[in-house]
Amino acid sequence: MTLRPARAVLVTGLLALTACGGATGRRAAAASGDWPSVLKAARGQTVNWYMYGGDDALNSFISHTLASKLKPYGVSVNQVKITDTVNAIDKVVAEKQAGRTHGGSVDLIWVNGENFATGKQAGLWHCGYHLPNAKYVDTTNPAVTSDFGVPVDGCESVWQQAHSALVYDSSKLAASDVSSATALFAWATAHPGRFTYPAPPDFTGSMAVRTFFYDTAGGPSAFASQAVTAAYGEASTRLWQRLLTVEPSLWRKGQTYPNSQADVEKLYGQGEIDAYLTYGPGAVAQQVSKGVFPPSTREAVFRSGNIANDSFVAIPANAAHQAAALVVANELLDPATQLALFKANGAYPAIDLARLTSAQRQQFQAVDLGPSVLPLSELTARVQPELAAAYVTRIEADWKTHVLRR
Amino acid sequence: MTGRRPRWVTIAALLTPAVTVVGVLFVGGLGLGVAQSFGYQPFLPDWDWSLDGYRALWRDPAVTASVGLTLRVAVVSTAVATVLGVAAGLRLHSLVRGRRTITAVFASTLAVPHIVGALAMVLLLSQSGLLSRFAHAAGLASTPADFPALTADGFGWGIIAEYVWKETPFVALVVLAALSGGIDELHGVARTLGAGPWQRLRHVVLPLIAPAVAAASVLVFAFSFGSYEVPALLGRPYPAGLPVVALQYQRDVDLNARPEAMAVAILIAVVVAAVVAGYLALIRRLSGRPL
Amino acid sequence: MRRLRHPVSAALMLLGVLIPLVPLVLWSFAGRWRYPGLVPQQGTLRGVRLLADPTSQVLAGLGTSVSIGAAVTLLSLAVGVPAGRALGLYEFRGRNLVRLLLVAPALVPGLAVLLGTQVFFLRYGLADTLAGVVLVQLVPTIPYVTLVMAGAYANFEVDYERQAALLGARPWQVQLHVTLPALRPALTVAAYFAFLISWSEYALTLLIGGGTVKTLPLLLYAYAGGPDPTEAAAVALVVMLPPLLLMALVVRGLSGRGGTLGLVRS
Repeated sequence: MTLRPARAVLVTGLLALTACGGATGRRAAAASGDWPSVLKAARGQTVNWYMYGGDDALNSFISHTLASKLKPYGVSVNQVKITDTVNAIDKVVAEKQAGRTHGGSVDLIWVNGENFATGKQAGLWHCGYHLPNAKYVDTTNPAVTSDFGVPVDGCESVWQQAHSALVYDSSKLAASDVSSATALFAWATAHPGRFTYPAPPDFTGSMAVRTFFYDTAGGPSAFASQAVTAAYGEASTRLWQRLLTVEPSLWRKGQTYPNSQADVEKLYGQGEIDAYLTYGPGAVAQQVSKGVFPPSTREAVFRSGNIANDSFVAIPANAAHQAAALVVANELLDPATQLALFKANGAYPAIDLARLTSAQRQQFQAVDLGPSVLPLSELTARVQPELAAAYVTRIEADWKTHVLRR
Repeated sequence: MTGRRPRWVTIAALLTPAVTVVGVLFVGGLGLGVAQSFGYQPFLPDWDWSLDGYRALWRDPAVTASVGLTLRVAVVSTAVATVLGVAAGLRLHSLVRGRRTITAVFASTLAVPHIVGALAMVLLLSQSGLLSRFAHAAGLASTPADFPALTADGFGWGIIAEYVWKETPFVALVVLAALSGGIDELHGVARTLGAGPWQRLRHVVLPLIAPAVAAASVLVFAFSFGSYEVPALLGRPYPAGLPVVALQYQRDVDLNARPEAMAVAILIAVVVAAVVAGYLALIRRLSGRPL
Repeated sequence: MRRLRHPVSAALMLLGVLIPLVPLVLWSFAGRWRYPGLVPQQGTLRGVRLLADPTSQVLAGLGTSVSIGAAVTLLSLAVGVPAGRALGLYEFRGRNLVRLLLVAPALVPGLAVLLGTQVFFLRYGLADTLAGVVLVQLVPTIPYVTLVMAGAYANFEVDYERQAALLGARPWQVQLHVTLPALRPALTVAAYFAFLISWSEYALTLLIGGGTVKTLPLLLYAYAGGPDPTEAAAVALVVMLPPLLLMALVVRGLSGRGGTLGLVRS
């Protein structure tokens, strides 16, 4: 009885060896869900992890903290910094189109939302694995089991939570100016050229437009289904009117929008704008301490709420170092790693704190990131969930048509 | 040239490696680009020859705007770099003291990679850059927005500035090289015959350096037209430089964008080839002119 | 004989060349430099410290750029020197065509030519590899090496080779002890050009390297797009200084040659 699965693995492995080297044999072992064999296969591998590279605190965390945590497993991480996750997706798709079904150059991607959906549709992901540390994850939480409305189905592993916030220079804006989108737009009209947001489909630009959409429509509750409803048409028309009205008061008179969130942060650091929206409020602390951002930097959340989502790591099916990627995904869920990550850049843990011991819970609650970063209680007080992926794509396309008009 | 009898085997052996590499990668690459622009999709079972790539290119406003920007930037940069480079080269040639040192410093931009030059220009010319801060100190601007937008702008001023900065010394060096043989004697003869400085310039110096300067400006144009990283860092997403558009479309997951991407690449190659051909024709006419 | 009249013009020329480098150097040591300050309000060494930090991947990028540069230089010399000899020493039918073929890649933009090859590099496992990047970088470098060497060979007195052979030297000894030493200045310039082009290359490395092969220009591009100019400027210094130093060495080694760099020969 015990011989048959072993022989199946052996035969598959041998067949695969004749086709394209030993990597497939390891892949078969990983897929069989046998964690010790995954660990064995992972030893000595380097994971090519494609992720957004603009967050210095996160980069430092990965190359120092995470690297030392992975050392006992003989796994190392090669962080491939990209400016937009869609680049990594495109790469895997291109490899698939060129017929590269194994030995792929992408082992792990920091992904969520439309990018995950695109990958799922194209059959890019390695799915159905089970990580030991998944026991810390609250599997009843819809934010974990569905990603922008697309069922996760075991094709990605949760990593961190992102809460959006408005970052602003408190020497230029008062607390009343940032209490709502209306107040912000009024301030922008009085101080032209000092606010902007990146052009969708940039991830953060898309979030900015959706934040204003929530403020216009009164919340996402009317848009819970996957299909686009009629109520959307009316709410979005009002949104485009608002955005067009404020456009001449934006940076460069709204004639052009920054291409990416990185460009927006650069403008803020250089003093060309005084406020911007971000998915990474915790990362602001490091920029202030480095002197890149002014010490008067503060954060705020609109009365209508801020968008939050979970982000995940996904493993392409053709990854060359799948076993090591699984080890990394598992290690990211470890409570000690989640705590270190939270301390490093304010990334709210994705694991369920209720499943930890009270001592561990207290460690999380004791983390203080400084005055420039909103405390967790305020960041999570008026949290709003993301829209379904179909709405996101629709809003991005409509923004291009109605606001960018090109 | 020594009039040796050609030994075909030797010549072939000497040339084979270079011709093979260039043949496979350059000619092959262009061929593959042309094929894919007409619809060829390697490694996919169903594809068909079609003009869709070129039709899409013709109708694409992003491409039209991009051609306008790239051409404008290349022409202006080449013209300015050529004029300034000739003036600089003549000035360097007329230096007596410290010519070697000054020339060496002046030529140092040749060793600076364009990507570094692009960053330097951003730090100098952006609305919060050093030049803007000088304007503020001089009382001409009170906020960054008062300073004109030279980077990420619709005309391409920042891009032009980078090309001019890098390529003017190149043209100057070419001028110096062209003048390095016998110009002073010609000057002396011309002066004896009563020619004034402007006449000497027009009828002695400029014709002498014209072929070399024309070659240099063709190189400058070709580079400016085909550069990726400079418009990527100093320009805007719309209109983007033509090579930026080509790469963007090539990376698109939607395979329908692939033929258009290749069509853009072929367009770049054709424009540069046309300019080079024009230069060769001009050279043939110039060399026929009596001194 | 003109004296150094109008020192203003020479000074303006030098200023024009040096001014853009001023903010770059200042920013690499700027701790806090908010608008509208003319000089940094605070200095820092974190830009320099970043270079040694493994997080920044700069040291790895330096290693990658140097390895690729060395490989490209050696290969393009190996291929371009014989080609230059053929074009410079011999007259033959089709010489102009061959010369056009070998020089064309210096004119036609590399990205346009090689865009169509990327999917093949991907399929045959050369994408995302050092070897693939070295291969594509040969396209812009071979023309320059060939041109420079063709010019040098055209001025080379080939009778010296014949004489050495008459005196009993084997062909490889002739090359090693007569020809190549005589061509050393041109070889140095050709090698420098090849290295400089490879070192500065961005688009081709991005296209074929796929972002996996991280050379210094790729790293610099990423930092230049980020919010911290200090880090970007520090990395820019690392990208800029080696070719400048090499150029100084080359010029020193060629002292007395007037710095023509052999470019104009055609």
